[in-house]
Amino acid sequence: MLRRSAYKNLQQRASQLQLKRSASQSVASIYFPSEPTAPVLKTESIPGPKSVELNEELGKVFDNRAAYFVSDYKQSIGNYLSDADGNKLLDVYAQISSIALGYNNPELLKTAKSDEMASAIINRPALACFPSAEYGQVLKDGILAAAPKGMNKVWTALSGSCANETAYKAAFMYQAQKKRGSLDFTHEELSSVMENKAPGASDSAILSFEKGFHGRLFGSLSTTRSKAIHKLDIPAFPWPAAPFPKLKYPLDNHKHENHAEEDRCLGELEKIIKNHPTDIAALIVEPVQSEGGDNHATPYFFQGVRDICTKYEILMIVDEVQTGVGASGKFWAHEHWNLTTPPDMVTFSKKFQAAGFYFKNPDLQPAQPYRQFNTWCGDPSKALIARTIYQEIEKYDLVNKTQEVGDILYKSLDTLLSKYPTKMKNLRGENFGTFIAWDFTSVLERQEFLDTCRQYGVNIGGCGDSSVRLRPTLAFGEEHAKLFLGIVEEIFLKLYK
Amino acid sequence: MSISEQYFPNEPKGPVVKSTEFPGPESKTQIASLNEVFDSRPVYFVADYEKSLGNYIVDVDGNTLLDVYAQIASIPLGYNNPALLEAAKSDKMIRAIIDRPAIGNFPGSDLKEIISDLLKVAPEGQDKVWSGLSGADANELAFKAAFFWYQGKKRGFTAQFSAEEDKSVMENIAPGSPELAILSFERAFHGRLFASASVTRSKPVHKLDMPSFKWPKAQYPSYKYPLSKYETENAEEDKRCLAIVEEIFKTWHCPIAGLIIEPIQSEGGDNHGSNAFFQGLRDLTLKFGALMIVDEVQTGVGATGKLWCHEHFNLTPKPDLVTFSKKFQSAGYYFHDPEIIPNIAYRQFNTWCGDPARMILAGAIGKEIVKHDLPALAAKVGSYLYAKLELLQAKYPTYLRDLRGKDRATFIAWSLPDAAARNKFLTDMKSVGINIGGCAEDSVRLRPTLVFEEKHADILVAGIEKILAGY
Repeated sequence: MLRRSAYKNLQQRASQLQLKRSASQSVASIYFPSEPTAPVLKTESIPGPKSVELNEELGKVFDNRAAYFVSDYKQSIGNYLSDADGNKLLDVYAQISSIALGYNNPELLKTAKSDEMASAIINRPALACFPSAEYGQVLKDGILAAAPKGMNKVWTALSGSCANETAYKAAFMYQAQKKRGSLDFTHEELSSVMENKAPGASDSAILSFEKGFHGRLFGSLSTTRSKAIHKLDIPAFPWPAAPFPKLKYPLDNHKHENHAEEDRCLGELEKIIKNHPTDIAALIVEPVQSEGGDNHATPYFFQGVRDICTKYEILMIVDEVQTGVGASGKFWAHEHWNLTTPPDMVTFSKKFQAAGFYFKNPDLQPAQPYRQFNTWCGDPSKALIARTIYQEIEKYDLVNKTQEVGDILYKSLDTLLSKYPTKMKNLRGENFGTFIAWDFTSVLERQEFLDTCRQYGVNIGGCGDSSVRLRPTLAFGEEHAKLFLGIVEEIFLKLYK
Repeated sequence: MSISEQYFPNEPKGPVVKSTEFPGPESKTQIASLNEVFDSRPVYFVADYEKSLGNYIVDVDGNTLLDVYAQIASIPLGYNNPALLEAAKSDKMIRAIIDRPAIGNFPGSDLKEIISDLLKVAPEGQDKVWSGLSGADANELAFKAAFFWYQGKKRGFTAQFSAEEDKSVMENIAPGSPELAILSFERAFHGRLFASASVTRSKPVHKLDMPSFKWPKAQYPSYKYPLSKYETENAEEDKRCLAIVEEIFKTWHCPIAGLIIEPIQSEGGDNHGSNAFFQGLRDLTLKFGALMIVDEVQTGVGATGKLWCHEHFNLTPKPDLVTFSKKFQSAGYYFHDPEIIPNIAYRQFNTWCGDPARMILAGAIGKEIVKHDLPALAAKVGSYLYAKLELLQAKYPTYLRDLRGKDRATFIAWSLPDAAARNKFLTDMKSVGINIGGCAEDSVRLRPTLVFEEKHADILVAGIEKILAGY
């Protein structure tokens, strides 16, 4: 019986870990003194009966076909996600990479219970017309204090998709203004735009990369190139996509080929830009293509992209929706590249809870007010949460801690890979915090692994066609890494002995 | 005790104006500081939300203004409403704030209850909801639903995608990315993301320099006022506009999957359409196999005297999708046809699929509105206010023309001679302690909360009269 033996082993591992845990104070043990030391398995399988029943009920009012199980957030703690049956799963997926500091983090709890938060919830302002006296300081102490190097302004939004789309709008307005020179719109622009026609409506484009994921609204979806299912039946702008490098692993053994592959992609990028029938206002790229399969490229490639953007006067937008806020071992993943010139805009959401884009050039703010504008222009309640998240990350040096934990994970997974080279391939994310992924040889094997993990009390996600991605919280410590590695090893033994 | 007295025993009795100009000096200083990091050029003044109460917004210069703009029509129950405060402090809310779930994958055990609360205030005939984050987002999600539905009809609801569709969609070309349109109306406002801005036709400044989908626009009726005097002309106008819609359905170069319309075009100038016009549209959408999307982002949640403004029209059958945001705080669309849910999972999907914190608040707002029958209150106060404004109109016909919103509760507007006169009026109203907003080039719109009562209306009318008397 897979389940019984799994459970027994987990209990043993837990007691071993408990001894070790008292030796060093991990941030999780500070935040969550009562965090379980191992997954707690209450039902024969997951989803358990209660989860199944609740999900059936939920299905009457909500499209729940993508639900893994029904969660009990009140009982969740730290790195453990509780389901409705009381199973507690070690969570290395963390709400599709969007929980920063663990479930029911006490510092976030304080923020959520504050009067400031209550006011932000019940008195939601139209921020650009009637901001509160506190908003500027909340931004300065939180979202802006965390700004990537070289950036000192922010425009806030509500989700990753809308962060990217507001960045696209900034790019289109900037480029049109530059071309126009004058601050006045022509009569022809003013009338044609009401017909959705040029010159008032732009025919410029945003360039993205094959396998990129930038969201699912109409502008963002036009740049998303991850999977057909994300895009089918939705009208799209005729915008170009360039190839993203397909690197061979391990990187050390394929330096020459990978360099050639990146040169090929840079060459293609330049060719596409030269041949595209319309202007390209901006290019958007993820530091690691996450939904698309955790595809990495080297700093050389990104510097090449930066140089091409500068050469052709195309704005460079870095989409840090999934990679940002510490998980890569830098606060912003693109800081790994040491670009000679910073990107023009950096977008964020997910783990920061607040969303938006950073920038520096004041001209990215349209010359006329009310152009980059909407009713809410963000959400102060999320800015408060982002501030606490930033301050906690700084207080406990969680970016560096994540790098250390990532090293442990990566090294052990590398050893595991050498034991199962036909099953586990292309381990990615060395020196990239806990932002780690690898491939299975097929969709089915990947699915079997993800499902088995759940039965062993680990909640884990996939990406791309046959990859597994690790997206734990920033409170995921050495003790969780070791536990996780032990369980994975056990699953490999079980599945592939 | 009136509802505002119940909620706000300490609500100010009237405005207090301390500044000689707006924004006041302290607001100005703070705007300059905020502007270093966040575009603050549209700021009217910096608000002190801790001190704001009920229908009164307080700014950092100590001015207390009667607020009939209410955060661009998005404060439902007044500032610091105690019932909402209770919801904001509830355990359920706290959890939703700190453990924000990806509800498509990991719904919480309380999600059914949260959604059921939203459904309790669904428009007539609607029994399902899909959540988004803003009005623009809600509309775009509705467009996606319409496109999925339209292609599903064509392909067969359960049919597989073809290899050609799977391939071409990755190039952003047909047949995978089909050429399909959403029809909207001149002067409409539906948001400012790329598809929503494509159907927005209010002002150039909302659209300039953005790429747009080449989608069609029809004409929204332009009525003559007072309506009772121009019944024949206005009925002709309805017919003319419906004929244009029919012509577009027949001749547009690509299929039209959906039509989106506001029950009252708000940003576009508070333009109204008759029941006959809306029923005519409903009939045309059925005739041409398109979905009817009613955008209730600004009109919804009680301010017109019905929970949802389109309920005034008694449409048969009911609209296919109704979008909401603003006063509901949460956003999304209501619907009823199960085939508006796409054939397979992960199509109408994203990380968060809404925000339970905002959904919980919407549930609490809905509960209060039903408990106190606030649409009826809005209707009562609205008639009172409309009658007073009619009298003022007779006295000041130049500055109070085309009064609109009879029988639409407090959802009232009028026009001034031109943009300059309107802008001056809005500014002048601050000097009598009233925060009021405009729409289109030359109109003024009233968008008070649902706890705006006769006593507040009296202060508003006195303020208007004081300003107009000076013109």
